[in-house]
Amino acid sequence: MSLLVKAILVALFTWLTFFDKYCTQFFTYRPIVVGPIVGLIMGDVRMGLEVGCIIELMFLGQVFVGTALPPEETFSTIIATAFACISGSTEVALATALPLAIIGQIGMYFRNMVLCVWTQHRLEAAVEKGSRRGITMNCIVWPNIFNLILFAVPVFLAVFFGAGPVQAIINVIPQVVIDGLAIGGGMIGAVGLALLLKCINVKNIWFYFLIGFFFSSFLNINPIGITIIAVVCVAVAYYTDRDKGVA
Amino acid sequence: MAENEAKKEALKKDLTKLSRKDLWKLYIYSQGFVSGFNYEKQEAPGFTFSMIPVIEKVYKNEEDKKDAYRRHTELFLTEARLSHFVIGVTAAMEERNANEHDIDPVSINAIKAALMGPLAGIGDSLYHGTLRPIIAGLAVSMVMASNYTSVLGPIIFLLVMAGVGQLLRYFGIFKGYEKGVEFVGAMQSSGLIGKLTRLAGIAAFTVIGGFVYKFVTINIPWSYTAGETVVSLQSTLDGIMPGMLPLLYTLLMLWLMNKKKANPVILMLVTMVIGILGHLAGIL
Repeated sequence: MSLLVKAILVALFTWLTFFDKYCTQFFTYRPIVVGPIVGLIMGDVRMGLEVGCIIELMFLGQVFVGTALPPEETFSTIIATAFACISGSTEVALATALPLAIIGQIGMYFRNMVLCVWTQHRLEAAVEKGSRRGITMNCIVWPNIFNLILFAVPVFLAVFFGAGPVQAIINVIPQVVIDGLAIGGGMIGAVGLALLLKCINVKNIWFYFLIGFFFSSFLNINPIGITIIAVVCVAVAYYTDRDKGVA
Repeated sequence: MAENEAKKEALKKDLTKLSRKDLWKLYIYSQGFVSGFNYEKQEAPGFTFSMIPVIEKVYKNEEDKKDAYRRHTELFLTEARLSHFVIGVTAAMEERNANEHDIDPVSINAIKAALMGPLAGIGDSLYHGTLRPIIAGLAVSMVMASNYTSVLGPIIFLLVMAGVGQLLRYFGIFKGYEKGVEFVGAMQSSGLIGKLTRLAGIAAFTVIGGFVYKFVTINIPWSYTAGETVVSLQSTLDGIMPGMLPLLYTLLMLWLMNKKKANPVILMLVTMVIGILGHLAGIL
């Protein structure tokens, strides 16, 4: 496949994921899924999986609370994975993931604050006129066209034109900074996990956090094991609460 | 007398009730629920679009339809899967309003608004705050364990998240239509929501604790010589408690967010900069 075909396919996939993000919500838009699929299109599933894991961990704790928008993980993962596949190294992904996510977030704010407010007004006008076509256009069709213009087209341009220049810039950056980015990337999960802890608004469950941590750190139990321990903790808490209720 | 009965029968036939087929139609239309999300009326476009099959079915004249569409273009915001419960309840209210005219149409929006809060609370904490990070973390660790060759993790992630999400939508619409508002009331008064939230919080805290060690990496390459032996600071720290630095750094982030109201995106940027500067200085 030529780069042109790949760029078009990646852009179409982008549009699909954004359709999913706003409609069916099958979660195809998370980095862990987006990474390998873009990798497949670009001809390097392994690289896709690697980048998908890196960015998924960066944004693991990303919680959509109320109306505040988190950094745009989908847009970021798609471009970062494509760059990584073209250059053959994850360094590009590490260096570009966070800036791209912030650019995507700005695009999303523009969509929600300007474009979709405009369609909201058009929707109200369509209702007054009794136009069924107007309702469908402004509820479903226009928002998806916005996604195409705001996200899929930039993805196409970035993949088709951007990889070369980005690689050139990465080549200029000294190795010590690239290594530093990898180190920062390893630490960044802490922010997301802290954000999750902050968002879970339940009192007096701190020691469960420590149970999970100590089993993992001292006993080196893998995440599947930790999940099983979590299930046991829930069961203990459930029966303790129930018995308290009886007594 | 018999004539009266016949008249009643005829009237009943004239009443427009939603069939199961209509509810399935509602389920399909409601897939577009978050499309058109905006900062003025939030999920109103999606709600309006979802109600098309209901409004077109139950109302006969154009003015009633217009009124119905108009009230759904008002602000609505809750978690996008549990919102389908509200859609189901609203379908039942619209149907009743059209057939029996015994409810104040204003109350439809009032009930929608009353359901937003509790549903958003459990939706965000159970689905996005607990299930998604746990399954995503498992998927990532499966991919890493296969040395980036197996796509089983992502497939399981998709199946679980899409499956649970669509089941919530399906049950929301069908149960919401059937059981109505009382269902949420009963759930709240029985304390079920509170209990569920607490248990999910426990599961999430346990797993997040494990993730802090697995997915946050901080190593200090610095070492010093004591007599004949070279002592690495990192192995000294690991000797006390493995993963001490990731734990402390995570708690620091939490403290900055809770007490200093730090913006998470800024903290992410700062973390990257710390990584670069720390590495330049030779301490990371």
